Amino acid sequence: MPDTLLYRPQHFYRYDSYDRTLVAERVEQFRDQVRRRLAGELTEEQFKPLRLTNGLYLQLHAYMLRIAVPYGTLSSRQLRKLADISRKYDRGYGHFTTRQNLQLNWIKLEDAPDALAELAEVDMHAMQTSGNCIRNVTADHYAGAAIDEIEDPRIWCEIVRQWSTLHPEFTFLPRKFKIAITGSPNDRAAVRVHDIGLRLWRNEAGEVGFEVIVGGGLGRTPMIGKTLREFLPKEELLAYLEATLRVYNRYGRRDNLYKARIKILVHEIGAEKMREEVEAEYASTRDGALKLPAETIEAITQQFAPPVLPVRPPVSGLVEAQRLSDPDFALWLKSNVAPHRVPGHAIVTASLKPAGAPPGDASAVQMEGVADIADAYSQGELRVSHEQNLIFPHVAIEDLPQVYKSLAALGFAEANVGKITDIIACPGLDYCALANARSIPVAQRISNHFAGLARQHDIGDLKIKISGCINACGHHHVGHIGILGVDKNGVELYQLSVGGDVDFGQTAIGTILGPAVTADKVVEAVDTLVNTYLDNRSTGERFVDTFRRIGAQPFKERVYAAV
Amino acid sequence: MAKNLSGDLQVASANRLVDGVVVWLDDAGQWTDRLARAAVSREARASEILLERARAEGFGVIEPYLVAVSEDEDGTLEPLSLRERIRASGLTFDAIAADAVRYA
Repeated sequence: MPDTLLYRPQHFYRYDSYDRTLVAERVEQFRDQVRRRLAGELTEEQFKPLRLTNGLYLQLHAYMLRIAVPYGTLSSRQLRKLADISRKYDRGYGHFTTRQNLQLNWIKLEDAPDALAELAEVDMHAMQTSGNCIRNVTADHYAGAAIDEIEDPRIWCEIVRQWSTLHPEFTFLPRKFKIAITGSPNDRAAVRVHDIGLRLWRNEAGEVGFEVIVGGGLGRTPMIGKTLREFLPKEELLAYLEATLRVYNRYGRRDNLYKARIKILVHEIGAEKMREEVEAEYASTRDGALKLPAETIEAITQQFAPPVLPVRPPVSGLVEAQRLSDPDFALWLKSNVAPHRVPGHAIVTASLKPAGAPPGDASAVQMEGVADIADAYSQGELRVSHEQNLIFPHVAIEDLPQVYKSLAALGFAEANVGKITDIIACPGLDYCALANARSIPVAQRISNHFAGLARQHDIGDLKIKISGCINACGHHHVGHIGILGVDKNGVELYQLSVGGDVDFGQTAIGTILGPAVTADKVVEAVDTLVNTYLDNRSTGERFVDTFRRIGAQPFKERVYAAV
Repeated sequence: MAKNLSGDLQVASANRLVDGVVVWLDDAGQWTDRLARAAVSREARASEILLERARAEGFGVIEPYLVAVSEDEDGTLEPLSLRERIRASGLTFDAIAADAVRYA
């Protein structure tokens, strides 16, 4: 039965008075900075770093507020507040990003402090969503529910959040710094393409610790991270992170923006030298103040105590009957529903990729609808995925038909998760001041072309990722098919790559296929890539498996013969 | 008559400080959100003067700069670069409506 409690316990970190005071003081500080800017007491040069520190960018048409969603976890109450803020201070919609954040694209400067004050009411903020600091830590979007999870990674995300928030030593790093954590062997957090990726695993002695992966990243110079530590005891995490950041802060390049990320440092000095430097620094700090006491870890762990879910039958007659009578529901069960660690429950993904829609966008009404569904069927909890979808982590199997029906009413029940229309796309040149080419219209055309669900499911798992510039917010390097928009003499062209991946152990940077194609040829090129795969696949092979077996040449030949 | 695509024609643009809205400097030295009302410089020296004027009027805007435009025979202005055309005309797709429930 649906749970309609108006108030429920929260199964993730709740701000304490320290957090609340810090965020509230920051809002008032920014309010005064905005007042002084509007009064002409601050120049734009003086003000720009202050607004960026509070997540406020200037884009092509307006200011954009990037709101941190810590480790992608949201309560229904928080999502309702985001909807409310988007309606009150923006244009009534928001864009969920590849960093599990939410961007509002039409914020007025004069309204930004009020929007931040309202965010603070639900324990949220926009700090460290810009600037050369440690950004919002991202996590597996199935965290706390995944059947393959060893430990909930959000406990460690929260510990890192507390350590890194306004950390005075790491506020002016050579460049921005992104950390991702997974608690499962099947990486869903892309940990090998982050500045630091952390993978929780259990060693032969039965102890759980971290594999520490450093120097991954996408952007202009894509790199797969190197393992600096195979196994780090959990209580030593902050000391090791601090040592790594110190080495980066000391040796990272500040003379060249394009060579300033830690991946360049690791590449230039080599993983071995990086490890030596980090371990030397670590040796001096490992038993210091950053060694986490067991009671501290336990206190944070308690905050993430999972909801008590009654064990239920793994099969529901209602679900099975609808599976047989409703082909779209059957496909949805296959693609949008994942196993839960508690029998009789499931993880459900709401696809923010209905045919032809801007990927990751949700209206205020849709956000409120999702919050209602979370309250009724998912313990009031949600996750944002880096693939720009929303996740209900705790749904009883018997409630799946009702969740499907409710999502369908919102337009979020497309049975396409992991399929060719579940496209990641950055905002691109329609919004972004850095972009060279549009992303969203390209995604829309591909989505419309492949809209038929039967064909999508025949094609199988295929991830398309689109970026409007080399900064790679759309993760194009690790798309099974990657699309990068470039500007050549004022004309938008799109460079195609194939074979990228972020599945754990299979992380790969895609192979550039050849010369970029014009915007009007992108759909045709993607269609040709898909047909090449279909003509060559062996039983059970996904697109990327076939690519690995036959290489890029057959794809290249067919695409350039076609376009 | 063909458009003037030489890049000699320029307007001064910026984003309005208070809300980020795209604006252009008009002949009266005011910032307008209508490109059609923008003051147009037609040669290099005039462009320098236009930019200086834009900066002098820069109190309520952010970082004015020059934008190359074309002009039709009826006087309609259009930025030459896609980026500036998007700034002038808005999104090139339909954004989701605030009250949207199902995306059509």
